[in-house]
Amino acid sequence: MDQEYDAIILGTGLKECLLAGLLSVDGKKILHMDRNSYYGGESASLNLKQLYEKFKPGQELPPHYGRWQDWNFDMVPKFMMGNGLLVRVLVHTGVHKYLEFKAVDGSYVVKGGKTYKVPANDKDALRSSLMGMFEKYRARSFFIFVQDYEKDDPRTHKGYDLDVITSRELFKEYGLDPNTVDFIGHALALQTDDSFMDQPARKMVMAVKLYSESLARFETNSPYIYPLYGLGELPQGFARLSAVYGGTYMLAKPDAEVVYDEAGKACGVSSEGETAKAKYVVGDPSYFPGKVRRVGQVVRAICILSHPIPNVGDSHSVQIIIPQKQTGRQSDMYVFGCSFAHNVCAKGKYLAFVSTAVETANPTAELIPGLQLLGAIDEYFVQVSDVMEPVNDGSEDGCYISKGYDATTHFQSTVEDVLEMYKKITGKDVNLDADDPAATAGQEQ
Amino acid sequence: MSKDHDDYDYLFKVVLIGDSGVGKSNLLSRFTRNEFCSESKSTIGVEFATRCIEVCLEGKTVKAQIWDTAGQERYRAITSAYYRGAVGALLVYDITKSESYDNVQKWLKELRDHADSNIVITLVGNKTDLKHLRSVQAESAAEFSSIEGLSFVETSACESTNVDVAFKKNLTDVYHIISKKSCSSAEVDDKNGGAGIIEVKAISESSKKNPSKCCNV
Repeated sequence: MDQEYDAIILGTGLKECLLAGLLSVDGKKILHMDRNSYYGGESASLNLKQLYEKFKPGQELPPHYGRWQDWNFDMVPKFMMGNGLLVRVLVHTGVHKYLEFKAVDGSYVVKGGKTYKVPANDKDALRSSLMGMFEKYRARSFFIFVQDYEKDDPRTHKGYDLDVITSRELFKEYGLDPNTVDFIGHALALQTDDSFMDQPARKMVMAVKLYSESLARFETNSPYIYPLYGLGELPQGFARLSAVYGGTYMLAKPDAEVVYDEAGKACGVSSEGETAKAKYVVGDPSYFPGKVRRVGQVVRAICILSHPIPNVGDSHSVQIIIPQKQTGRQSDMYVFGCSFAHNVCAKGKYLAFVSTAVETANPTAELIPGLQLLGAIDEYFVQVSDVMEPVNDGSEDGCYISKGYDATTHFQSTVEDVLEMYKKITGKDVNLDADDPAATAGQEQ
Repeated sequence: MSKDHDDYDYLFKVVLIGDSGVGKSNLLSRFTRNEFCSESKSTIGVEFATRCIEVCLEGKTVKAQIWDTAGQERYRAITSAYYRGAVGALLVYDITKSESYDNVQKWLKELRDHADSNIVITLVGNKTDLKHLRSVQAESAAEFSSIEGLSFVETSACESTNVDVAFKKNLTDVYHIISKKSCSSAEVDDKNGGAGIIEVKAISESSKKNPSKCCNV
């Protein structure tokens, strides 16, 4: 490894692998290392053996779980928005050819202790039992406004300037009641808390538009898709892209450490007595102690079930959102379900993940409203993760550090972080429109 | 892995593995393009290559989609995703480098850990053109193969000896396994597993209203 590279990348999480792929395609010489013997860093999908090593070290694997290889537990459970930035980057880079996807069967929201299918467009709104008769028609006209809205066509703006009017004001214009506002904001726009209400409405409207366009893109019952064998396939796909373009890969480097010059600028990485030089170093927060700060915590429970999640039509894959108001919390809670149909667990088993932003000193107890939706749980594993972000922007110290994975349900903020980092590093944007001209909403946010 | 619109009965994914420098990429280029490159550069720019062959007397056409390691084997950093869906593997060593033969054991473990348990493995001793440098005897490799249940072929990608034989042996064995359970388990899985596989591609193409559901083999 005693060579000189354009960039050394530390950690093989989705963000780092995506950057490695984009930079390698640009012709940059990349060295990519990870302290673990597997790909994915914090966003890995662990097999059963790795999961037990992490959560129950020294314990034997229960024989009734079958082959350890048949399990892929996502450490950061999220779904992919069908028309979202991640899908567009996959198409842009061609990495979609390495993977196979299934549509997620359904998307649900909890109201008053009951689960309802999320209505996502004007037609759904009229059928939904989530709203009363008159409210349905008000919601329908709101959906039609959102679906028709085009940034460049003032006729579709209905006189509203989305950069001025707040979400709260816009909802008021359509006379929507607080329950409807709640599910639009949290189950469609997928905001994790209520701060969007008093911000300009553009972000919320574009997020609802993304949701309904995602539904339409694959003509499915939910806006989401999910890769077979789990989300850990995504970083591996982008790592392969980087390798195909000449990137060098090294795993199991537990002592990998950033080397700084006298001026404090990153100039390489050392491991096992060798030092590789580079113009700059990219990586996840765990490789840059002292250069990151904690901005929050997320608690996630990984649950093994022997049955589908109840009350969602026996779906093999599902998202259930519990808006903050339903639990008296500040942030929403998310339940994800997938099954052996996605090659993530043994035949006949189901996986469920419950996650939310930590608000109290007892994070596990915070998950109870989500865990209660699951019925009998065979076994579960709880993890609290710090969400870290860089203190500096990398322009002075040559350290381009990604943000930790937040509590959001899909990859929009993940890819936005990567695209921002790419711009900081290279000074240019990734042009996704060239590959996917008809997809718009994902980009505009 | 979308289906191309040419004519074939089966699409098989086959992976190449083995130490760096044993000639995996040259076996691939010899088989798919009848090319050989003597420069000993590590693999760059190859995703996978395909070739259609006829198997057996039944006139069935198999399209082999052969994946190269993209150099990730150099520091043992092959992704587990590489093995997904592979029905065949060519495990390659260099008959002039006994170390590459000793490592076959490790690669076999890696295959058995990460690949489908039914994967068909062919052990390939490459570089038979370098007779004077041989350090691995064909007899010992043949014996090892029969113990481990692998087929075994010695090849020279350089002189184009036995390369087709090695791939065709592997693909024919795969064909026999797959065609035996013609109502393949994958189809049955899909029926009780919710939504089927969807095809991800650029919107400009998919808006031409191709069927959105696609079954990959």
